[in-house]
Amino acid sequence: MELTDADLVARVLADDDQHAFGELVRRHQSSVRGLLRQLTRTDIALADDLAQEAFLRAYKNIRSFRGEARFSTWLYRIAYNCFREDARRRKELVGVDEEQWQAEHDPQTVDPGLRHDLMHALSLLPLHERTAVVLCCQNGLSHDEAARVLDIPLGTVKTNVLRGREKLKRTLAAWAPN
Amino acid sequence: MNPMIDDEMLDRQLREAVPYIDDDGFTARVMARLPAAPREPRWLRAMVLLGLALLGSGVAYLLSGGLIRQGLIQMAEFPIWLLLVFAFGCGLVVGAFAVIFAIRKTPEVRDLTRLNF
Repeated sequence: MELTDADLVARVLADDDQHAFGELVRRHQSSVRGLLRQLTRTDIALADDLAQEAFLRAYKNIRSFRGEARFSTWLYRIAYNCFREDARRRKELVGVDEEQWQAEHDPQTVDPGLRHDLMHALSLLPLHERTAVVLCCQNGLSHDEAARVLDIPLGTVKTNVLRGREKLKRTLAAWAPN
Repeated sequence: MNPMIDDEMLDRQLREAVPYIDDDGFTARVMARLPAAPREPRWLRAMVLLGLALLGSGVAYLLSGGLIRQGLIQMAEFPIWLLLVFAFGCGLVVGAFAVIFAIRKTPEVRDLTRLNF
């Protein structure tokens, strides 16, 4: 019988069961590390350091998880906060602006392969659009959940997803069947 | 814009573009950095229980006013089979409590049985 995330969290809360927390880490490490790799523009070492920090914070603050949202949503929020704090320290939160995105997005210079093009285009999106697209389109969060993770209004999330999608569609247009 | 590209296709491509990231020791590294769970020393717990048991016995003996002594003398006159049944009954009660507390302390068994004590 596979235990749910809620069961595992309950074990951690009741018995300080570190094995149960280990199972939660195993389940969510891929999505959390994937999210952070997107946010850090595929800086794998930095993303993994931030992911470790996020899981440690989750363990220390697990009593503040009330089960109103999914455990993964709560975890994404912590991971995003870790990224933001680190970016503030590094003063890199500004991201790439629209003009830079347009300038860098030249189909002639992009390596072949739809997946590669898509990931390249995703990495060039401004941070707020990239984050919203990764959370909603890639990780399957609802707009409402993403708004909670990012701590921004629901309408802003919808706008960011819409704009990000439009830019990515431009990348994919060359790959669409005629 | 190419009309063939819709949101569904884009989302599918995005999901497929991100491979599952192998754990590759990540969980072990996180677990190694977790703060140790605070635990009281076992010997202290045992000493407290033993001390309380001795204290309770002493107080009960003093308050009984010789009643316990008389009871023990009477019990010595009981037939041996009756003493065995009494001892067996006491063992069952203690065993039942031991099982209950073992389940409470073992999350795997508790989740398996879905018992809430």
